[in-house]
Amino acid sequence: MNGYNGLKVVIVYRKINFIILFLSFFLIIPATALGAGKVRVKHLTSITGNNEIGRFGLLGGVFFDENKKRLYFTDTTNSRILAFDDDFKYISEFTGGGALSSPTSIVKDSKGKFFVAEPAKGKILAIDIGKKSVKPIDFSAVSGANPVYAGNMAVDSEDHLYIVDKANQRILLFDSDLKFEREIPVEGSRRLMDVKVDKTGRIYALNTTDGSICVYNSKGKLLLRFGTRGAGEGEFDFPTSLAIDRKGLIYVTDQHKNKVFVFNNNGRFLFTFSQLGWKEGRLHRPSFIYINNSGRIFIVDRANTRISVFE
Amino acid sequence: MPKVKNHTFLFYLIFFVIFLLSMTSAHGANAADTKVGFKKCMECHPKIQQEMTQKGRHEPFKKYQCSSCHNPHTSNHEYLARDEIGTLCKSCHKGKKRSFDKKYSHLPFEQGECLKCHSPHSSKNPKLLTARGKQLCFGCHDDKEMFSKKNEHDPARKGNCLTCHSHHTSDYEELIEKSPERICVTCHTVTKKSHLNYPVQGADCMSCHNPHGSNRSKLIKENTHKPFAGKKCTKCHNPAGSADPLGMKSKGISVCTTCHPSVKEDFKKVNTHVGEGVFCTDCHSPHASDEAHLKKAKEKKICTACHQDTKERLKDKNYKYKHPSVMEGKCTDCHRPHGSDFELLYSTDEISACVDCHKRHASFTHPVGKSTIDPRSKEEITCSTCHNLMGSPHDFALRFDQKKELCIQCHKGY
Repeated sequence: MNGYNGLKVVIVYRKINFIILFLSFFLIIPATALGAGKVRVKHLTSITGNNEIGRFGLLGGVFFDENKKRLYFTDTTNSRILAFDDDFKYISEFTGGGALSSPTSIVKDSKGKFFVAEPAKGKILAIDIGKKSVKPIDFSAVSGANPVYAGNMAVDSEDHLYIVDKANQRILLFDSDLKFEREIPVEGSRRLMDVKVDKTGRIYALNTTDGSICVYNSKGKLLLRFGTRGAGEGEFDFPTSLAIDRKGLIYVTDQHKNKVFVFNNNGRFLFTFSQLGWKEGRLHRPSFIYINNSGRIFIVDRANTRISVFE
Repeated sequence: MPKVKNHTFLFYLIFFVIFLLSMTSAHGANAADTKVGFKKCMECHPKIQQEMTQKGRHEPFKKYQCSSCHNPHTSNHEYLARDEIGTLCKSCHKGKKRSFDKKYSHLPFEQGECLKCHSPHSSKNPKLLTARGKQLCFGCHDDKEMFSKKNEHDPARKGNCLTCHSHHTSDYEELIEKSPERICVTCHTVTKKSHLNYPVQGADCMSCHNPHGSNRSKLIKENTHKPFAGKKCTKCHNPAGSADPLGMKSKGISVCTTCHPSVKEDFKKVNTHVGEGVFCTDCHSPHASDEAHLKKAKEKKICTACHQDTKERLKDKNYKYKHPSVMEGKCTDCHRPHGSDFELLYSTDEISACVDCHKRHASFTHPVGKSTIDPRSKEEITCSTCHNLMGSPHDFALRFDQKKELCIQCHKGY
């Protein structure tokens, strides 16, 4: 081999190296990330108390109104509902003129009516701000071993209201006229804690003590059960709340692991995000999660007394 | 041909003899070496040599194989052991069938502290145990009150703990050998007559009877529910002769709240232990108990039955600094078991709850409360900002090492 041929070999060798590098950086690595189904979650902002709105007490539930693009959450200790706009600017607070005492879970239907759980009163209040009306939902048609203990709630696209009844391990379903329609017993699980409904009408129930998630179709037929407590990957310490994003991924907050677990719609564990901490983006005993249509994740970061927003 | 055969046979015979001799001499040399090694060890550890006279000896010790378990030069473990004691023991003692792989474990076994019960070299007791029978068990389980009752269960009186309990692992709580429903009927017969004609066969006898001893007859537990003590079963249950005699007279917790109405208010809180059905019996015994308020068991056991991750954390050696109430399993010192309007079921707001006992800290402490803001979270500093009472690797159950990391979490300028 003469010097010229040798030079050609070196040039070809360098070209191959360059192609390999190019493929690695621009094709293979992104493809691997896609294959893993990894969704990037980043911290967007935190809503904390301040001089204008006062310090927050124990925070309850969160709801995002897609029509008005407003965020609502309950400040249970201070007996109020706080409203923020889409840019997280404070709008107003609502106390109902003393009608609220310890509001926890909150949802709103498409007609603008709020529903707020009041455990101290053993009621769900239906609040129509326009009509200045606050009325409890009538549970007289609901039978059961124990009186209803209303926990978290969800509303579907047809304004059906879903209520966790902790004292009877079931989900109560009310129609858009607030008439009791039926119940979905969450059998074989313990300590029903949360309920959400996705855009297809699937109902998701989270049980804290056994760490299970039950997925039902809109008729209440059990489609899937997954999740457990333990130290292994994808296993919970103390799951508190769940939410479904627009892609159908299931997010679960863990109060003791201080993380959010993400599963695909078959219940396969994908990844977690955040960790114990006090700085923004970290979580300390997260107790509730809500995801809006634009993919923003609102977490009640209870021990940090703030709403942490991710996307 | 026969000659050739004879030669072949002779060749193999010589080869076999040489092989045998070499093996014997090698073994002899090894044994001699081991003995030399052992003698060398005993020059400094003469007391251990005395143990050679014991009848029961650990197999490697019997064979002078100190280095089976010890590294003569260096080790990261106590006694120059080759590994953590538990790991070292289990490298040979793997357990028969699935005897080491059951749901519940004896704590020393789980934590690899085999030497709590076994001697590593020799013992006059079987299985190299450090003591016999109840002397061994009562070395740790020294609840004198429990074992000095007027009436004692025969195996407990005789110290035959293993009549009912397993020593390493069990599929059942308290390491009992059989399920709670089956273990008592191994020796006893349960009759309807002795239970006011209620069909209690198949029930857990220990929900009413103390298997160790009691000052009450029939080993009934010390504290009894009033209707139970008055034999008024029908206060809560259907009559004995009815179709469903063990069924309850009313639905859900109303069976309890009819007589205990004030409890209903406890469950009208933001955070509660509300559950399904007669959920009072999740924590309380409806008949008899040795605990106050007819609690089903010791608080720690009741709470950790559901709070499994807390149970694991309590056992974790890395979290050795805990609040004394946590160590003693007195969960209700800080948490309200029925319900609370405060986070983590505290009796009041966190700072007030702590100051209730830590009175000096009410006036002398790092500033806490509404006027003191944590620069990280922009929220008020409370006691748990710096302390993790459920367990921490640092002194005073601090979240970070106070000598280097703790203060600079907020005081960045230092």
